[in-house]
Amino acid sequence: MNKWYIGEGDHNDIVISTRIRLARNLKDYPFPARLDNKSKIKVNELVRDALEGREKLDYTELKTLTRAQIVSLAERHIISTEFASSSDGRALLMSEDEQISIMLCEEDHIRLQVMKSGLDLQGAYELADRIDNEINEKLEYAFDERLGYLTQFPTNLGTGMRASVVLHLPALAEKGQLNSLASTVSKLGLTLRGAYGDGTAPFGDLYQLSNQVSLGISEKAAIDNLKTIALQLAAQERSAREEMKDSKLTEDAVYRAYGILKSARILSTKEFMTLISRVRYGAVCGMLKVDLKTINELMVSLQPATINAFVGRTLTKDERDVERANIVRDRL
Amino acid sequence: MLCQNCQKNEATTHIKRIVNGETTQAHLCSDCAKSLGYDSMFTDFSFNFPDMLSSFFNDTALASLGAHTLRCEKCGSSFGDIVRSGRIGCADCYETFYDKLLPLLERVHGKTNHVGKIPNSFEEIAKEEKSEHSELETLRAELDEAVKAQNYEKAAELRDKIKELESEGKTDE
Repeated sequence: MNKWYIGEGDHNDIVISTRIRLARNLKDYPFPARLDNKSKIKVNELVRDALEGREKLDYTELKTLTRAQIVSLAERHIISTEFASSSDGRALLMSEDEQISIMLCEEDHIRLQVMKSGLDLQGAYELADRIDNEINEKLEYAFDERLGYLTQFPTNLGTGMRASVVLHLPALAEKGQLNSLASTVSKLGLTLRGAYGDGTAPFGDLYQLSNQVSLGISEKAAIDNLKTIALQLAAQERSAREEMKDSKLTEDAVYRAYGILKSARILSTKEFMTLISRVRYGAVCGMLKVDLKTINELMVSLQPATINAFVGRTLTKDERDVERANIVRDRL
Repeated sequence: MLCQNCQKNEATTHIKRIVNGETTQAHLCSDCAKSLGYDSMFTDFSFNFPDMLSSFFNDTALASLGAHTLRCEKCGSSFGDIVRSGRIGCADCYETFYDKLLPLLERVHGKTNHVGKIPNSFEEIAKEEKSEHSELETLRAELDEAVKAQNYEKAAELRDKIKELESEGKTDE
């Protein structure tokens, strides 16, 4: 079964993936922080049953998974880090291709998420909207005409929607333009931040652009706005890449990165992400003949806990760095 | 510039906070920013809402709002509970504490009125209300015409129907 990140999609030279998240709550239950475990499980099962026979989703109570499996889900952005932080009373509905995931009893009863590769906000929203309607046919949502969908944090009121795209921006990062771009997009109601690593020093030049406001703006307007800005960032990244393309320094950096990845015996997450970012850039520019699918897959699957889950046991950091280097050599 | 907290590492996180018109600035290294809780400022779904809530409503503001006396009938949360936990208790809390939350919502979203998707059940209710409304309007127009045509028998019939519909609307409320 192909995972969502293996497909290619529009603007895949820059846009890695698209995600839509909808926050919903059931009318008849208090929000999760005011629920005991028994009621949380009741809520989880109501949602599971509402989708029974409508969508092909696997239901998993989080407490039946190992720590490594849970963290790995978070590393692959299938669940949030908040969701991974506790397993009590929480459950996950997920499609086999990992495109659809529904976090149950996170900060809201329902956090429905749809992922697509490349830029496909429309496609992701349509699918999320369909599932949302299917749940709503069976269960009544907490909703207010003035405030929209009611959520545990008022920051998600209104549409309850967060739309985001992950962008690969090595050339803009190299030119040091990301801080000023981040402050520009924040004035437009959007947030630009590192998608991996901590916010201040993101790994692999991967950035997430998402809408910040959900009340007083329709789903369509929020999506259109996000798409316009994403395309503008992509255009700026392309022209920055064009400027850098013919420099010997750039070419050298790309081939060195490729050489190290193909021969290294130990690779930390940070070093790997820095190098694979250059290789991805080289592949898009036509310098290297490496499949983008392979690169995307490696970027997603070589985070620490995902390696543990793949190997099937918990490795020490040193063991993991060796294992990561083995996998990379094998795949490139 | 060195980190203000540890005085060792280069400051890479620069935070400007404006609370009640007072600006404070902090320059921290990424480790200290993390340990002081600033790394989660822009997490996916909410920029640390609990902090924001408690800085928005300090103790004096809470006392003047009568935050500890009024409680949500459904889940029992007082407004003080909401500020302390940083989370709204249940859907009904939004109704109970609407006026108190409104300035905060305005600051977060810039707007306070939902536009966009409406759940199925609400759509139907909205439609029904509309059709009831238009039925009444048609009947009233017919009544006007009947009166003009001096057809009093029909007018009496229509007036009874209108009264019936109007009283149904009231009992629904």
